[in-house]
Amino acid sequence: MAIVEFKDVTRVYTSGDHELRALDGVNFTLDEGKFVVILGPSGAGKSTLLNMLGGLDSPTNGTITVNGKDISKLSNNELADYRASTVGFVFQFYNLIPTLTVYENVALVKDISKDAIDPKKMIAEVGLADHLHNFPSELSGGEQQRVSIARALAKNPKILLCDEPTGALDSKTGVLVLKLLLSMAKNYGKTIVVVTHNQNIAKMADVVIRVKNGKIKSYEEQIAPMNADEVEW
Amino acid sequence: MLVRKLFRTAWSYKAQFISMIIMIAIGVGIFLGFNIEWKSLEQDAFTFLDDTNYADFRIYSETGFAEEDIKAIQDIDGVDAATRYFNVNVGIKETKKSVALNISENYTVSTMMIMDGADYDKDSEGIWLSDKFANANSIKIGDELTFTYTGIEITGEVVGLVKSGENLICVADENQLMPDYEAFGFAYITPKTLKKTLGMAFYPQINIISDIDKADLEEKIKDATGTTFLVTAKNEHYSYAGVMSEAEEGKTMGSILPVLFLAIAILTMVTTMHRISVNEKVQIGTLKALGFRDRRILMHYTSYGLMIGLVGLVLGVGLGYLVASLIISPTGMMSTYLDLPAWDLVMPGFCSPVMAVMLVFLTLISFLSVKKMLKGTAADALRPYTPKAMKKSVIEKFPFWNKLPFGTKWNVRDIFRHKARSAMTLVGVIGCTILLVGGLGMKDTMESFLDLLDNDISNYTTKIVLSESAANEDAIALADDVNGDWQASSGISYEGKTITLDIYCTDGGKIGFLTEENETMKLTDDGVYLCLRLKDAAKIGATIEFSPYGSEETYKVKVAGYTRSLVSECIVMTDAYADSLGIAYHIGSIYTDMESENIKNSAIISGKQDKNMIMDSYDTFMEIMNVMIVVLVVAAVVLGIVVLYNLGVMSYVERHRELATLKVLGFRDKAIGKLLISQNVWLTVIGVLLGIPAGVGVLHVLVTALVSEYELSLTLGIMTYMVSIALTFGVSLLVGLMVSRKNKKIDMVEALKGAE
Repeated sequence: MAIVEFKDVTRVYTSGDHELRALDGVNFTLDEGKFVVILGPSGAGKSTLLNMLGGLDSPTNGTITVNGKDISKLSNNELADYRASTVGFVFQFYNLIPTLTVYENVALVKDISKDAIDPKKMIAEVGLADHLHNFPSELSGGEQQRVSIARALAKNPKILLCDEPTGALDSKTGVLVLKLLLSMAKNYGKTIVVVTHNQNIAKMADVVIRVKNGKIKSYEEQIAPMNADEVEW
Repeated sequence: MLVRKLFRTAWSYKAQFISMIIMIAIGVGIFLGFNIEWKSLEQDAFTFLDDTNYADFRIYSETGFAEEDIKAIQDIDGVDAATRYFNVNVGIKETKKSVALNISENYTVSTMMIMDGADYDKDSEGIWLSDKFANANSIKIGDELTFTYTGIEITGEVVGLVKSGENLICVADENQLMPDYEAFGFAYITPKTLKKTLGMAFYPQINIISDIDKADLEEKIKDATGTTFLVTAKNEHYSYAGVMSEAEEGKTMGSILPVLFLAIAILTMVTTMHRISVNEKVQIGTLKALGFRDRRILMHYTSYGLMIGLVGLVLGVGLGYLVASLIISPTGMMSTYLDLPAWDLVMPGFCSPVMAVMLVFLTLISFLSVKKMLKGTAADALRPYTPKAMKKSVIEKFPFWNKLPFGTKWNVRDIFRHKARSAMTLVGVIGCTILLVGGLGMKDTMESFLDLLDNDISNYTTKIVLSESAANEDAIALADDVNGDWQASSGISYEGKTITLDIYCTDGGKIGFLTEENETMKLTDDGVYLCLRLKDAAKIGATIEFSPYGSEETYKVKVAGYTRSLVSECIVMTDAYADSLGIAYHIGSIYTDMESENIKNSAIISGKQDKNMIMDSYDTFMEIMNVMIVVLVVAAVVLGIVVLYNLGVMSYVERHRELATLKVLGFRDKAIGKLLISQNVWLTVIGVLLGIPAGVGVLHVLVTALVSEYELSLTLGIMTYMVSIALTFGVSLLVGLMVSRKNKKIDMVEALKGAE
């Protein structure tokens, strides 16, 4: 069953006379529970695509349906509620609130999500039970990213959206974080969309979408994706 | 190219730059405004007093001075000039108006400045009239006037319009607070006219110009004339004392308020320049990496401070002259009080150095902020500034901490993380509250003062002023006739000061007395009552000594209590107590409930005043007060908005990324806005709690400094508190809304890019 559907989605940015077509008539569907990787060089439009899907931005034309709901023409508040209930974000630079502790950063989502998962449980699952009351600045980059994963999943979203989740980490830590991300998504049955330019991550995906110049260059379903340990990093 | 960057960067920080410029301009404006005010006042008034040969000393004799007396005094070594003088309030026939009539016998002391018409001529029988009184009553040169004084009439032609130092503050008596030129003016005639009218030369006063000191002069006059006369110096005369007290007020205003504003301006500068150099750190690093020398970069960033300081100062100087000219100008507020021919603005000498130091200081602040960012290698400088790592504060040790919602924790930690910013917000709120409580409290205090004066102290309708020659028996008969109370006022010397002794017969209750707590009290017949200004001079039950003006006799009296004397500095006693002491007095006024029209004319009545007319003279004073209060309230609101907006924007910029993260997580704009505003609200609550007592304190200082000539009781109505609190919160909420509206515009995508 398709959880995401993009239909003729176009996003045009205008600045003065200049027009930039970041996305140009994009069509695709994603099935529930799949691991999707969006690949492409910088400026190809992959981040724009992810932002549309995450409800951070709305398309100029076309419709985006997520979980049976058209999100392309929602108001600001409706978009906020959509983000709160349906998607979880993991960023390259973690984006934790520096003035809140690990526990508080995760518990934060209880304010906006009705069926949030117990923050302590999520933190334990990412292996940071001993760091509940530390501030983000007291953690390493890998640990911070794990907090960010716990926060994204604690909302109990349908889809997990990750923008270069390992981009700021050394490769060893990156693999560990990626493995954690995938196993947790599997356990909770989440659809997971990762934007990256790292070809290796694509080897593990169920679906690989390649984007170039605002258009989809290829849409490839991999019948037998590799295991993280099989990939040469 | 760097110059171009200078202006572009300045533009991108326009909110901060403009708010700093406004703060500096207001601070400098108020500093200059009030200092120019008192300096100009002193200079313009003293020049005028000099030009009209204002007397340094005055001596009085009820029986009049003889020609030998004046000759002897003129011959005293150290006396530059002296004249016999006559000064009395006379009515204008067929009107309710009156003038102070002046005659300077040899016209060397206490002379006039001719504004229009004929010069002084000792053989003339004309009248030189106050130009302001003439203007207010449409009297022209050539008109004829008749003065009346206890049945005597003096008629003459107005030959000149004049001003005079002796009548710089033209009031009928001490009960009149502000001049009212429609009702009361002054006039000069020649000794020749006086002699012709009276049939003799009668001068109860001698005016002296001399540099020697008062005690010395007293001694020399005693040696020269063989009699002890009480000498009053110019600082006991209302013209000179009025100018000095106004100048004193200007000095107080010029030191308290500017300190508040300039301190806030400097603190704002420190926090803002720090913020800007933090934001610019990568650019500073880039310039360094490009090969610019530290000195160049320092100069570039230091010039921001210099630019802000210069623009602020220039605007401030303009504002200062504007403020000063609102007060010191022919149509300014002071012109309703003082009758001066020239209103030139003069800046005190210390102002320029103070402003130069300000400018250096402001420049230094930006220099130091940038210097910190330049430390180390180019690579160090290129790395973005990292704020201090989060540490737990003491509050978090309390058990209730964990129960707080995350928004509260976020805000509390943010307040502690950015201490300078939070402290500045507090200072801004406190300043705003102080100005509001001070300004509105001043109005309350003045209004309650007038209320007491009108309702509790003055229960009469008409005050009858008796002539100097009226006998006490006649006065008491008249008082009985009109069912009135009477008062006898005279000057006494007490502890080296000249103050008033007031003897009252208040059987009819037309005059009331107040305790320090503003409750009505009854005078007893077993002692004297000291006004509150003299409270420290003697305890209740103690014995004090005083001697009447121009007499060597001393009286020992018991202090029976204290009474609030709203206007004069005085000792009060009942007529019964005065009689038991055997003290001589002369009844000067009668207070009655009869309308002035119904009181029969009599030879002993020299004038009648409606209480309403006396109360009206306070209206001008209240108008000036109201202008001051509007200035204070506007200043408070501007201060509040500027400081809070500047800090609000700063806090918003600092938390930009965190706000974007919350937004991405799915928090609605409103929820985020509430977070931002609630931090402001808490700081405002704390600021108001601290600001109200501070405001009451400042009001206390202002009341004692500004109106030391009256015994005011600090009064603050509930409305004052409510309006102050409401306005402060209003400002804080308004700014909070202005800032929180910005969060709608956060571009989540942009905000989350880049390194932390």
